[in-house]
Amino acid sequence: MSQSTVRDDPGDQAGNRRPWLAAAEQSGSTASGLDWLRERRTAALARADRLGLPDQSHEEWRYTSLAPFTRRWLEHLAGVRLPAAPELVPPALAGVFSVDIVDGMLCAPLLATPPGLTIQSLQTLGPEWRTQVEALLGSTVSARDDSASDSLVDLNTALLNDLILVTTEPGASVAMPIHIRLQATAASALCQTRLLVDLAAGSRLTLSLVCTGTAGVLVNAVAQIRLGRDSELNLVRVQALPDDGMLTESTSIEVNDAATVTVTSVDLGAQLSRQSLTVRLAGTGASANLNGLFLADGHRHIDNRTTLQHEAPSTISREFFRGIAADHGHGVFSGKIIVQPGAAGSNAALTNRNLLLTTTAEIDTKPELEIYVDDVRCSHGATTGQLDANALFYLQSRGLDLSAARQVLTAAFLRDSLTSIALPELRERLEALLESRLQAQTGAAS
Amino acid sequence: MAVSGLRVEVGGKEILTGLDLVVRPGEVHAIMGPNGSGKSTLAHVLSGRDGYVVTGGSVSYQCRDLLAMAPEERARAGLFLGFQYPVEIPGVSNVYLLRSALNARRAARGVSEIDAAGFLRLVKAKARLMQMDESFLQRGVNEGFSGGEKKRNEIFQMAVLEPVLAILDETDSGLDIDALKVVANGVNSLRDPARAFVLVTHYQRLLDYIRPDFVHVLAGGRIIRTGDHTLALELEADGYEQILAAASS
Repeated sequence: MSQSTVRDDPGDQAGNRRPWLAAAEQSGSTASGLDWLRERRTAALARADRLGLPDQSHEEWRYTSLAPFTRRWLEHLAGVRLPAAPELVPPALAGVFSVDIVDGMLCAPLLATPPGLTIQSLQTLGPEWRTQVEALLGSTVSARDDSASDSLVDLNTALLNDLILVTTEPGASVAMPIHIRLQATAASALCQTRLLVDLAAGSRLTLSLVCTGTAGVLVNAVAQIRLGRDSELNLVRVQALPDDGMLTESTSIEVNDAATVTVTSVDLGAQLSRQSLTVRLAGTGASANLNGLFLADGHRHIDNRTTLQHEAPSTISREFFRGIAADHGHGVFSGKIIVQPGAAGSNAALTNRNLLLTTTAEIDTKPELEIYVDDVRCSHGATTGQLDANALFYLQSRGLDLSAARQVLTAAFLRDSLTSIALPELRERLEALLESRLQAQTGAAS
Repeated sequence: MAVSGLRVEVGGKEILTGLDLVVRPGEVHAIMGPNGSGKSTLAHVLSGRDGYVVTGGSVSYQCRDLLAMAPEERARAGLFLGFQYPVEIPGVSNVYLLRSALNARRAARGVSEIDAAGFLRLVKAKARLMQMDESFLQRGVNEGFSGGEKKRNEIFQMAVLEPVLAILDETDSGLDIDALKVVANGVNSLRDPARAFVLVTHYQRLLDYIRPDFVHVLAGGRIIRTGDHTLALELEADGYEQILAAASS
């Protein structure tokens, strides 16, 4: 498939092994409206260049190699194109406000955004927003000294063509869900999307992000989200890249006093996908609910790393992450809870359940607790296994055949992860899509 | 159903050692016995659970070799097992399970799927019979149910599926007296000349409310004594030991 002459050594960062330098030359001249970001971008590029892309010698990247990602990037820069493969069309939903972002750029001016909400890109962003944007851009100080992963954020800062800023007005309850469709095309060698979300005090928002793309796309997505006091965000993030797409994604969410964030994360596409999601419970009484689901079928490699950081008193986190692996799929989940000294009276629970549908599939899981204060309640647990034999027999004893019983149980397993999605139509579509994919699996296994 | 000379091993150990039992349409049989006598093994083997090795004997059901049938085939042919420990299945609602189960049975009989309105009427009527709140229908199968609610749900499922032969494995265990009456009432309302029941139980208590036609005492993997409902009373008064001693002398 590849006509590239790139050597097979991801550790070699010399010469043409630094694709970002070539990419920076291409993008630096094309990006407009970035004057006041120039200094930050130059610094980010220098830092990324120094750090390089993370490799498997870093503990947090133990199970995921970015070598294929780097290789593909160099191929794209050299003009190598993959044959067209069927692309997943981003879902159009009724009753939502849709925003299309193609290769990181807002593709059409937005008219009539719902009351209480503004959506802007660099083109429309006036100087009065600078302080707010810089605060959000700076909020990706990693919770766990992930200097290796931070280079991905730096690369995004250095190479982005646009950034999207979503803000709410204080006290605004935005009734209509915002549906952002992030589409990556092969037109850019590595698509950089940058999303900033700032919820003002007391406001409420439902936001879905669905990432799709054309064959062979590479995406490096960064989202930085801040919830003001007493605000509420229901965030749905869906990764539905084509089978040969690759994604690195870094999301950080800062939750202030008495604010609540609910996140539903779904991975059902891509050849290689790595999400790093950090939630900082920074204000007293802040809470986070996180539901995750990945389906690593085919030859997918799906890696999810979550960090829930309790920084303030009486903060609450609930995390439930489910994974399904089949065929030759490989799933990775590592979930970390950190309770800092200032977070007395906090309560954290993390559960990870994984389902292996074939013996050739693999899931690696690692829940971790780091607690620096006594007065907290924390629980965590992880299991990986097959469908429950008792439940299968129960369904058979009611007349369902084995393959139907498998389907029912697998569908039930994943449906539980999707209940927190506040957009019913999106939830139903995801259920149907996942179930049809699993039907192939369970049918084949029986 | 005719069980004859049934021998069953579990993990290399013989649990049933030559069991004979004939159940005709309309009859209610109670199988009683001390712990470890093989009661639950019998229920599981008849329903087709994995892990039981039949080393001898036969079971014929409606002139078919029951032991050669998959569990779901048995269910579709009208066999129902009421579980001693009903399984919780979060994410699968009671109604979904019942509709799938009912339609699987109908398909096996060559009948078309039940229409939505008819199905809803049926399950609501049966839920009333079992004094179950309708909200139970939408909940996950047995999810978060108390022990009594789970057993009631088993009988509710049986009432909807209208089996030819129902085997109820220790359905009375863990029930308070009110729940026991509801369960017994559910069973009694389903008694029918074309339907048979096998009640597997440790205690005589259930038989105060469901009067069996036959009582069998199971010990050491086979039936050592058969009588009418008065045998249960005798067991209650004298305990198993006396009967076991009498049988071995």
